[in-house]
Amino acid sequence: MIINFKGAKTYIGTGGKSLDITKRTLCFLHGSGQNHLSFIQQARFFAYKGYSVIVPDMPAHGFSDGNPCKSIKENAEWINDLLVELNLKNVVVIGHSQGCLVALELNKIIKSALEALIFVAGSNEIPVNRFLLDLSKENPQKASQMMVTWGHGIDGDMSINKWPGHSHYGEGNNIMCMNKPTALKYDLNSCNDYLDGIDASKIIKVPTLAVLAINDQMTPLKSGLKFVELIKNCETHILDCGHFLPSERPMELNSIIKSFLSKLK
Amino acid sequence: MSENYKFDTLSLHAGHIPDKETGSRAVPIYQTTSYVFNSTEEAASLYNMEVGGHLYTRISNPTVAALEQRLAALEGGASALACSSGMAAMHLVISAICSSGDHIVASSKMYGANINLLQHTMPRFGIKTDFVNPNDPQAIERAIKPNTKLVFGEVIGNPGLDIMDVPEIAKICNSKNIPLVLDATFNTPYLMQPFKYGANIIVHSLTKWLGGHGIAIGGAIVNGGNFDWGDKEKFPTISGPHFALGGISFWEEFGPSALIAKIRAEGMYNFGPSLSPTNAFYLMQGIETLPLRMKKHIENTRSILNFLVNHEMVEWVKHPDLETHPDHEVAKRILPKGSGSIVAFGIKGGREAGKIFIESVQLASHLANVGDAKTLLIHPGSTTHSHLSSDAMKEGGLTDDMIRLSVGLEDINDITKDFERGFKAVKKLNK
Repeated sequence: MIINFKGAKTYIGTGGKSLDITKRTLCFLHGSGQNHLSFIQQARFFAYKGYSVIVPDMPAHGFSDGNPCKSIKENAEWINDLLVELNLKNVVVIGHSQGCLVALELNKIIKSALEALIFVAGSNEIPVNRFLLDLSKENPQKASQMMVTWGHGIDGDMSINKWPGHSHYGEGNNIMCMNKPTALKYDLNSCNDYLDGIDASKIIKVPTLAVLAINDQMTPLKSGLKFVELIKNCETHILDCGHFLPSERPMELNSIIKSFLSKLK
Repeated sequence: MSENYKFDTLSLHAGHIPDKETGSRAVPIYQTTSYVFNSTEEAASLYNMEVGGHLYTRISNPTVAALEQRLAALEGGASALACSSGMAAMHLVISAICSSGDHIVASSKMYGANINLLQHTMPRFGIKTDFVNPNDPQAIERAIKPNTKLVFGEVIGNPGLDIMDVPEIAKICNSKNIPLVLDATFNTPYLMQPFKYGANIIVHSLTKWLGGHGIAIGGAIVNGGNFDWGDKEKFPTISGPHFALGGISFWEEFGPSALIAKIRAEGMYNFGPSLSPTNAFYLMQGIETLPLRMKKHIENTRSILNFLVNHEMVEWVKHPDLETHPDHEVAKRILPKGSGSIVAFGIKGGREAGKIFIESVQLASHLANVGDAKTLLIHPGSTTHSHLSSDAMKEGGLTDDMIRLSVGLEDINDITKDFERGFKAVKKLNK
């Protein structure tokens, strides 16, 4: 669905079902340079399982207009305001990559009732190397291509995909090209500049799930494991794939999330 | 660990890694019509397009999917779909994008069946086409109307070997927000990858060079994922609500792969031009050696061009790699590895000479296919177009002395020796 939010056209994927604010809502937060299409195989899956689903395209991403947010905090505030605007009461926040950092900050300020947090291929810090930061400014398309290549495990290299006929690289590059050219630069800088992750991890009180990836080169497994150690009672799973876990291991991820959600009150 | 494998490696590996259960190194042939669901919930998920997977082989199949993913990787596309033939691929693209009242701009110099589909069949369903010279980008621009939904052409035209100036035409299409659909059969991704030049959708007859062995008919659509289908009024079939699946908008739900999702959900579902898993396996065996074969095709073509250009029995030779070809400069720019292995030449002595030549060669096969590993010949004047007068043939861009040659992979000396046999027989006739 498309709404006018903060003066800009804003797209919110709902998994092919109408948004029902009376239900528990799963709010998916995409990563750097991504958009709602990161969660192609999660949005419809959970919407058809009876959940209310929102997958917002952050400003300047996907089908959304507006200016990109310039920090993780600004992203979190934008999401918080959106949840209020949509009048969503009970929310489970699911972040992928940068979306995990946004979820950490959102946890501090959220006005809706936060029922759980789910971190996918995430950590509480995502330092970005200078070369990629510079490239995202000078040649965002090239930077996107490199991220898509680094971000996938062997399934990306070999064009292996559970969705018949789809190519991780070809699809991934074009998903990133849908964003405004400046979006990636601000995303990567937001990640690199975010230093509050350790404290933010320690104050999580809601049930938490982390799904990490063995061959993650963007948020390495080692960093993810250090992150989850700081969270009280975090259920952790590790899958054999790269950073683009939602498209590389959709069935496994959906099954883990579904099982976790079934345990919530 | 990401490796970013190169073309030759992807030709062999893309789309398949040995499964842990059997260790099968070759892509298994999943000769099955259907797939057991683990639960009703799983079945519903597949039907609702919530997740990827296989429902029924008319829609998708694991062996066919390996081929599709290999093609997507080789072309640098977002997604691909394999089907029963190249003509099926073309029809699937048109029927996914166009509806009654829509308009197509197409090259006037294409394979006869492509022309027939657009000129005679589609108008019965309210879809009209204007044909324009593919070498004239301005003419293509002028032919675009408000209801034009796609521009279609062949990178290397069949049989005239005209070369489309893909970058120029792509610029025009992009400025008008119209997808550029190219038949890339004659170039294959080895010689040229049209998405790099701005094309949006590729169709292939896999029967030809990609398969390469003349044993299986197949086609494919490769979707660049680089076209914005967001204009709901212009492209309602892709971005508007679909008649099923809860009114899904393929563009919103699948973005770069919207076209393939639409074709799988409607074209494959409702028309059913599926590729058999066994044929998909055969075609993949061909693709494994595509880079090696294309190198030899080009090497042999260059030798045969030299042979024909200098032969006393040859009136003319047409191939884009020759400086005499009107599109030579475009070919040099977009097909630097070579402009394919189809050659047209005129034999001295006209229609009768063509007939004698064809009947006298022994090694080259006289048949109506191209892109086989073996050398193939046909003389339209005595076969496919034998019912037409010389003047009528000229109107169609053909001459009665023309022989179409698909250069194979045999030893070049054996091919030229075989041709000498044919030329000798013609000489005898002329005496």
